[in-house]
Amino acid sequence: MAETGVVARSPIAPAAPEIILAGWAVSARRSGAALTVTDCTPLTKVAIKAAPVGATAERLEVPFGRVSRQTWTLGDRDCSVMVVGSGPGEWLVLGPPGSQVSLIHQLSALAGDGDLVAVVDLSHGRALVRLTGSWAAEVLAKETAMDLGDSVCPDGAAFRSAVAGLAADVIRDDRDGTRSYLVGCERSSGQYLFDSLLESGAEFGIEVDGFVPPDI
Amino acid sequence: MKRQTRRLDRQPGEVIDRGSPLEFGWNGRSYPAYAGDTIASALAACGERVFSRSFKYHRRRGLLTASYTDPGCIVQVGDEPNVRGAHRLVTPGMDVRSQDTWPSLAFDVKAANELVGRFLPAGFYYKTFIRPRPLWPTYERVLRRFSHGGVVSPDPLSPELSSYDKRQVHPDVLVAGGGPAGMTAAVAAARAGARVMLVEEEHSLGGHLRWGDKADLAALHDLRSLLAASGVEVLTNSVVFGRYDHNHVAIVQRGLPHVYERLVKARAKTLVVSPGLIERPYVFAGNDVPGVMLSTAVRRLINLYAVKPGDRAVVLTANPQGDAAVVDLERAGVEVAHVVDARGGDDLVRVLGRGGVKGVELVGGHRIECDLVVTAVGWTAPLTLLTMAGTVAAYDSRAARYFPGTATLPDDVLPAGGVVGDGTLDELVAHADAVGREAARRAGSMSRREPAAEIPALPVDAHPELFHGPTHGIVDFSEDVSSRDLLTAVEEGYSSAELAKRYTTATMGPTQGKLESVNVVAIIAEATGRTISQTGTTTWRPPYAPVTLGALAGRHREPVRYSPMHPWHERHGAAPLVAGAWIRPDHYGDPAGEVLAVRERVGIIDVTPIGKLDLRGPDVPKLLNLLYVNRWSKLEVGRVRYGVMCAEDGVVLDDGVTGRLGDQHYLMSTTSSGAASVWEWVESWLQTEHPGWQVHVTPVTTSYASINVAGPRSRELLGRVVAEIDLTPQAFPYMHVRTGRVAGVDGCVLWRIGFTGELSFELHVPASYGLHVWETLLDSGNDLGVRAFGIEAQRILRLEKGHLIVGQDTDGLTQAFSAGLDGLIRLDKDDFVGRSELVWQAEAAAESRLVGLHPNDASVVPEEGSQLIEAGVICGRVTSSRWSPTLHRSICLAQVATEFAEPGTLVTVRLPDGRSVPATVTEHLASVDPEGARLRG
Repeated sequence: MAETGVVARSPIAPAAPEIILAGWAVSARRSGAALTVTDCTPLTKVAIKAAPVGATAERLEVPFGRVSRQTWTLGDRDCSVMVVGSGPGEWLVLGPPGSQVSLIHQLSALAGDGDLVAVVDLSHGRALVRLTGSWAAEVLAKETAMDLGDSVCPDGAAFRSAVAGLAADVIRDDRDGTRSYLVGCERSSGQYLFDSLLESGAEFGIEVDGFVPPDI
Repeated sequence: MKRQTRRLDRQPGEVIDRGSPLEFGWNGRSYPAYAGDTIASALAACGERVFSRSFKYHRRRGLLTASYTDPGCIVQVGDEPNVRGAHRLVTPGMDVRSQDTWPSLAFDVKAANELVGRFLPAGFYYKTFIRPRPLWPTYERVLRRFSHGGVVSPDPLSPELSSYDKRQVHPDVLVAGGGPAGMTAAVAAARAGARVMLVEEEHSLGGHLRWGDKADLAALHDLRSLLAASGVEVLTNSVVFGRYDHNHVAIVQRGLPHVYERLVKARAKTLVVSPGLIERPYVFAGNDVPGVMLSTAVRRLINLYAVKPGDRAVVLTANPQGDAAVVDLERAGVEVAHVVDARGGDDLVRVLGRGGVKGVELVGGHRIECDLVVTAVGWTAPLTLLTMAGTVAAYDSRAARYFPGTATLPDDVLPAGGVVGDGTLDELVAHADAVGREAARRAGSMSRREPAAEIPALPVDAHPELFHGPTHGIVDFSEDVSSRDLLTAVEEGYSSAELAKRYTTATMGPTQGKLESVNVVAIIAEATGRTISQTGTTTWRPPYAPVTLGALAGRHREPVRYSPMHPWHERHGAAPLVAGAWIRPDHYGDPAGEVLAVRERVGIIDVTPIGKLDLRGPDVPKLLNLLYVNRWSKLEVGRVRYGVMCAEDGVVLDDGVTGRLGDQHYLMSTTSSGAASVWEWVESWLQTEHPGWQVHVTPVTTSYASINVAGPRSRELLGRVVAEIDLTPQAFPYMHVRTGRVAGVDGCVLWRIGFTGELSFELHVPASYGLHVWETLLDSGNDLGVRAFGIEAQRILRLEKGHLIVGQDTDGLTQAFSAGLDGLIRLDKDDFVGRSELVWQAEAAAESRLVGLHPNDASVVPEEGSQLIEAGVICGRVTSSRWSPTLHRSICLAQVATEFAEPGTLVTVRLPDGRSVPATVTEHLASVDPEGARLRG
């Protein structure tokens, strides 16, 4: 989309100052706080539906509830993508902003013979927020009833549950040994989710940190 | 300012910080205190002995327990009523006042109640205020003035008081109670590898060790060190108030810096209950006079807060803790005038004095002057959490207290400490250590092959049964219920503990039975000639301690949904319409003008909330044929069809259009409010009835910003922003779909459909570009007179066109034929959801029909919901009504009985103001362009 010259806007109003990166209006704010929240909506998000057990599932190599970080060649460059086993027979692939055409092409090619596979671009249909910091689990524990402990939800785990009263996908994706979660929801509730996390994180000094592509 | 005349020299275990003096207000006067003081300890240090007036008789009340459960010091702090003054820590500038006293605490007019006390026995209000019934509202107003609940400000609470929070936790082991047993169990469980949370009601851990002797303090120091190194999460000033199925444990956490209270919802694998023991008051005349305290109260005051509780004391003791209080009192410089040893049969008869203790009368009439009476007559085991888990409390007359029946406890609940037995500190610690290890094992934190921990039995010390003296006194200090009231209840037939409780309200106050329940049962037992075991107990239900409604409500979380164009709507003064979770633009100030813009020129409306489902697979036509009442087998690529879904009972469920974008790719739209339920409906049929069908469904409602471009110049406007799509009527006719680029944005879907009755196009744009496309349309159509229109204008336009709205023109009983959908229903299809019912309805003829209706007086707009009446019988209702700016008259849709549905039939509309107006059934549902020439243009 970026090549059209038209600017894409996240449902979450960027914290000032605002800049255009990879065709998206994003916040250029940089925070050194111990707990941060970042709007990662510009990431490409592609959903795949296929039989839970079958050739496509085998090729994706990610079981339900787990996350795999992989390097794929998108266009003419190698990119880091995240494949999430987001539901039974359901995967979500996160890629760099603007990579949906390449991702959809690659994912469609993954389909096994005889497998009915649906590849749907959800880049504009889902809001995605990253919560990072040693208090991230405590903040999230205010908004979801899931057990976020290491034994149940270790780094690389994914689940779908209610977060702040919304149906949300949660991915534990630690960054350099620091707790980090990606939380995705329907785009229309993105601002509400972002504000909820900011409110719950206030006691831990949460700050907004701007999006830096590819940021996966 | 007052002086701290009763403050003692530094005590070994004191919790006050003498380096942090502060001031606070009590009934308008300034008082000194130290950080760490409770309201009650600070006031007591300044010599205050009266803190409140009692519930019913407004008798003066002072400290009784000097702890969280103290009923004598419930006060108003700023805007906050019912604060437990013996627990709440003072803060600089805190404004504390006695509550429900007038004109003052010292002189309270309502104390006159005591003068007529003999006319106010237990249950008097049941008898007095029941008749005459019409006077009940008056009684209510008067009684409300006597309610004892403090004052809630009518103004919004300050942020500190109105901010609540919640948190979910999943400890392996949750320990309720942070005395020596609880601390030990927590450490043992943590050492065994468990994630442990320890919850303590008081501000610091340690239980009775905190006000103990040098050895107790040393043991406490050691325990705290072990705990600090164990990784146990400790919540102080927090209370476990409920244990529910599967160890769902509710905790209220207080005293947090950022929120007033936090509700912690714990899913504990095992729960250790170690609440310790609560000292029991003694029932005798004058036992509520300020200056009568429990032995633990004076020990807390002396050892924790360095407060001298009196000058001359008489102590009634039946146990070593009472003896220790004597030692503490003497060490604090209090003259112990007499020790009444109940173990030897000595007893107190009554307290002398009304506003404060002036002396006591012993058995035999001997009187002793004193200002402090201390009682140590036994213990209550707070078994509430254990009974919530299923245990049955068993009374042991030898120990004079209840114990939990461990045989009835589930495996995931373990008691520890004083509720189980007595013993030395070493014995209690050994027992709790084993309980902690076993709790961890049962939680799965240790190897499953690990043998069960051997939990040593605790000894049970003998204790005399001492509940009341030879005179009557107060049993429930919160509710002002006396032993005489209980006898009255028994005499009147309320002889079970449960009935007497409800009749007298004993145990129903803020202490919730912790101080009084055993005395209540003992007195009832004696009055009825039964044993305590035979009498039974009241039922201990959650909450264990009173909980604020704010804590239960938690943080206000009400999800809202916005379209990508919402910022534009806000900037342009749109009146917000709350539609489910969506916030939509109702209008921009002139809905009639918005209607005319669409009819005469072109308008655009944000219809993003329309539900959208991406359907893929070879069996999609089967699915559509199953769920819609019409045919779908031959829908060609590039075509769109309107469909109506019914439930199994033939009732209209939803409607919308579905377009075929590719060979095996469809886009289904639903009503805005039905988006979620239709998705569930589709998945339900696929997953439960037709799991073999090859269909994948993905909800994409918010993937697209949806914009309807409507009006005679809509094609012209769209032509300026659409690339590579031929918009001519021949190339892109009505009920067709195209995909392409709009305003530079790829991946857009265009439907040639409409809800307004005008030539219109519905654009579905990748949502992140929605605002861009919206603004581009407005910029591009400036010279065409383009105008944004809102929901209200859309509702008028669709009503003019006669389009029904599911849920407004239909209800939960409206079957498809009644909705006027005859032309759509294909009963000759093999099957579809609701077919059987619709076959029956077709044979039986619908009882009602949706019709167009015009009031004969064109200026009258009947309110929606107005009844249609003929011959005095309701024959229908107006489902939709508006003033039509196009026709300059009122127009309606209505559901009417079939016999009144013929065009030209005159019906009577009963308006809400009682007037009746005639109205005529129209030939078509549509009032504007019934032939559809405009929308096909």
